[in-house]
Amino acid sequence: MKRFIVFTLVLLVGLGFMFNVGLAADGDKLKAGFIYVGPVGDYGYSQGHDEGRKYAEEIFPWLETFYVENVFPPDVESTIDKFVRNKDADVVFTTSYGHMDPTIKAAKKYPDTVFFHCSGFKRAPNVGTYFSGLYQTYYLTGLMAGALTETDKLGYVGAFPTPEVKRHINAFAIGLKEANPDATLLVRWLNAWVDPSGAKEATEALIEEGVDGFAFTEDTPTVLQTAQENGAFSFSHYNPMYRFAEDAAVSGQISNWGVIYADILYKVYYGVYTSENLENVDYWWLMKEDSAVLGAKRDMMINPEYVDQLKSTTITDPLLGELSVYDLIMKRREQMKADRVTFDPFIGPMKDRQDIQRLKDGEWASHDELWTIQWAYENVKGPWPDEPTE
Amino acid sequence: MIEAWVIGTLARTLAYGTPLLLGTLGEIYSERSGVVNLGVEGMMIMGAISAFATAFTTGNPWLGILVAAIAGGLAALVHAFASITLRANQVVSGLALTMLGLGLSGLFGKGFEGKPLDSTISNVTVPLLKDIPYLGKILFIDQNPIVYISIVLTPILSYILFKTSIGITIRSVGENPAAADSAGINVWKVRYACVLLGGVLAGIAGGYLSIAYRPAWTQGMTGGMGWLVIALTIFASWKPGRGLVGAYIFGALIHLSYRLQPFVAPQLLKMMPYAFAILALVALAIGPGKQKSEEPNSLMEPYVRGEK
Amino acid sequence: MQEYLPFEITERPNPSGFVIITVSLLALLSAFLVASFVFWAYGTNPITAYTALFDGAFGGVYELSETIRRAIPLLLAGVGLVIAFKAQFWNIGAEGQLLLGTIAATWVALFSPVPEPLMVPAMFFFGFLAGSLWALVPAVLKSKLGINDVITTLMMNYIAINLVLFLVQGPWKGEHQWGFPYSDNFPAAAQLGTLGTTNVHWLTLVIGLVAAGLIYVLINRTTPGYEIRVLGSNPSAGRFAGMSYVKTSIMVMFISGGMAGMAGVGEIAGIHHMLRNPSELSLGYGYTAIIVAWLARKNPLAVILTAFFFGAIFAGGDALKVSLGLPFQITDVFNGLILFFLIGSEILMNYKFEWRRSP
Repeated sequence: MKRFIVFTLVLLVGLGFMFNVGLAADGDKLKAGFIYVGPVGDYGYSQGHDEGRKYAEEIFPWLETFYVENVFPPDVESTIDKFVRNKDADVVFTTSYGHMDPTIKAAKKYPDTVFFHCSGFKRAPNVGTYFSGLYQTYYLTGLMAGALTETDKLGYVGAFPTPEVKRHINAFAIGLKEANPDATLLVRWLNAWVDPSGAKEATEALIEEGVDGFAFTEDTPTVLQTAQENGAFSFSHYNPMYRFAEDAAVSGQISNWGVIYADILYKVYYGVYTSENLENVDYWWLMKEDSAVLGAKRDMMINPEYVDQLKSTTITDPLLGELSVYDLIMKRREQMKADRVTFDPFIGPMKDRQDIQRLKDGEWASHDELWTIQWAYENVKGPWPDEPTE
Repeated sequence: MIEAWVIGTLARTLAYGTPLLLGTLGEIYSERSGVVNLGVEGMMIMGAISAFATAFTTGNPWLGILVAAIAGGLAALVHAFASITLRANQVVSGLALTMLGLGLSGLFGKGFEGKPLDSTISNVTVPLLKDIPYLGKILFIDQNPIVYISIVLTPILSYILFKTSIGITIRSVGENPAAADSAGINVWKVRYACVLLGGVLAGIAGGYLSIAYRPAWTQGMTGGMGWLVIALTIFASWKPGRGLVGAYIFGALIHLSYRLQPFVAPQLLKMMPYAFAILALVALAIGPGKQKSEEPNSLMEPYVRGEK
Repeated sequence: MQEYLPFEITERPNPSGFVIITVSLLALLSAFLVASFVFWAYGTNPITAYTALFDGAFGGVYELSETIRRAIPLLLAGVGLVIAFKAQFWNIGAEGQLLLGTIAATWVALFSPVPEPLMVPAMFFFGFLAGSLWALVPAVLKSKLGINDVITTLMMNYIAINLVLFLVQGPWKGEHQWGFPYSDNFPAAAQLGTLGTTNVHWLTLVIGLVAAGLIYVLINRTTPGYEIRVLGSNPSAGRFAGMSYVKTSIMVMFISGGMAGMAGVGEIAGIHHMLRNPSELSLGYGYTAIIVAWLARKNPLAVILTAFFFGAIFAGGDALKVSLGLPFQITDVFNGLILFFLIGSEILMNYKFEWRRSP
């Protein structure tokens, strides 16, 4: 079914291209406005979106974009007003969960404008949703962490306990357990998206606990830098952070919003997406679509300094037999990038750390389960706000 | 186990407490002369961006610290001019300085966001001293030179304030400016100098944050430390030595708010330093060791010659 | 009479309204002049910038409504701060008191047994109460124990922030928010009506205007108001006359915190309709209200004007972000500069400067 939809879409786009339908007809530029929740220089989430915007603008000569940074929920509606009224925006992207309700409200006000909201679940005829999921890359870095740790203690510095961050932590923990069943993942929370001194102290606190490898969600390279200072390793997050710590950065996840923005804008331009048919349009793009990229920088999947150790550590997989962690990573990556995805980190049987069955044998976690995930995986230690007990 | 736990925490305490200590030492001098400066946060962040920009462009981190000191000093002069020369309300002027500092640093720091810094002030380990039991591990292994500077500065500034004629001059200006004036002391000059020193030290504190503690520039990266400094100054009863103790207690509490997360909810832990500040002031006010308030008498009052 | 630089200075004990307004306008003008250097240094033509700022704040009915929307919390919190400042109580904690108001409103809207028709009044009532109780802690600590009010009110802000975080991440996390740390949406009965298609929640605005009038009367026409003024200008004289510093402090902070609490109710019931991350809830209104109160020269009626003015700066600043792509910090720079020039200009109000005549 899914493949059929994709096929139809491609066909439609092709047709659109041939007949030059949609907005292209009058030679006008398509105008797209982006609303970010943080500053574009945050080296994290909002910067990631802005790189995506720039990418789309670069490849489409018919596209004109503009953005506003640091827009908090109460000002989203008025910013959309300004985009539509003063800047003639044809498409508006809003990029934070908190932007959801104001986007839906504004979309009613401007029924002819196309809206896309990132990280929420409410849609309308002129509001589609999209998200780039990084959890698969977290799983792969978890595999690496399991092979590289000497203390069997890994650390995760988390921003806010949102389902996205919990999903990342669990995916990392699943990979970790697969490569190293004895290792545990110690979690600390910052309660801020940007808090360099908090991230520094959280990292130092974990090092005191014996942690020798890190993953994190915080919009600065602090954890990576602090790991480097202490001779630990870490995985880069969101943007290519390799140059901040060239010894410590093993790999990481790079969020590539550009492919999603390009796809959406292309389809809007050629009339595939209109302000009337978005009710069921939801992007949940992963490694396969290249919206999540493995690496601490773009052309380096794994830091060469660590490759040998990954190759010399072997594990036994029930299906694949005995193989090196490096080969396992490559195999899993291939499986998740294939046209027909044959692997996902969240496949049952899976229990949470309260010993509650979360996925049955062979069951793949559904989109909604992943989106609302609250439980913590077996080897996760540390505080877990609002942990479900049933 | 417990030993390692305590030693590790104390070592972090020094690292996090240092910017607080530097800021507090400066604010103590400023307030001892009779001028409250609520602009510490603004001066700190100006120091942070100036230090980073300088170190980034010149490759010399110590030059960065120097420029941070100058930037902090210049910011303080704005407050001095408003509150000493123009006799404006010190609370409001300080707030204005904080807003201005956060705004300007964010505006002109745009170009430096997300840039790695190659020339930083990195931690050092002191040979020989590192082998002192306990103390060596806390103080002399993997610690930053600026930590030492701030520790050395504390007794010096304390000595100057309480044991030298300069200190007497400063304190008399803060206690009774009219009397000091009639004794031939230039009240304005003393106040300007003290506020300036406050700015210089706050600037260095900011520089420490951006090129030593965590080398990078992020807008708003001082994250409320400047406000803690204000609290610490009162907590310290305007004494540099107690300032050091206070700064380290706060440093410890903030580090512990991550260390103790397995045992207490993170949001409650993050309240801890602030709740502690209030509770400590209450304890000082009602405790058995209650002493007469050290608060300078003329604090927050602009000096006008010929009145009173 | 004093001599100062090349001037002769004479005191002007009760500056006339004309002097106050002229000097304030001059100060604003100077602040804008200095801010244009900031624009220029940032590579933006100051005239273009000011045009965009003005258009964004006053360009039409819609723009005006955006200004008023932002003026509402500033008006309520600002009026409350005026009375605290009048008594020389340094309430820097309006931000936290405002957050307590949002907590109370959320409790009423989502967790209380309050019947639907009574929800709106109950929200304002409990919002007021929560804000004032939060403010009473510093009031008692200062008046009974002499503990510095700047510190306690400030520290209470951080505690309030973490309290909200605790609630939205745990006990009050919404069931319909897909696991995100937000409370559920308020029921329709707990959402304030707005004027037409704008986001002006008029009820809060009316409350603010009425409160400004009441507090003006309280300060200027009543005995407690007289005590506030006396204790504020000369505490020892007040005590000598048998006035209770404790009682006055508590009363002042009760009102001050309550007003900020109601500002929070207006924001959450009028705009957000849910409890969420505190940094998204208030946008620093509690701190800006300090400037608003100060600029009003501690006159509650003048707060109506100054709150509107800063609402315009916020709305215009947002317009600047959209139309010229300027970073958001531009509003901070504006606020800081305006504040400096206003307080710096006070000396011109209270003293008359004349060129020193040759001897």
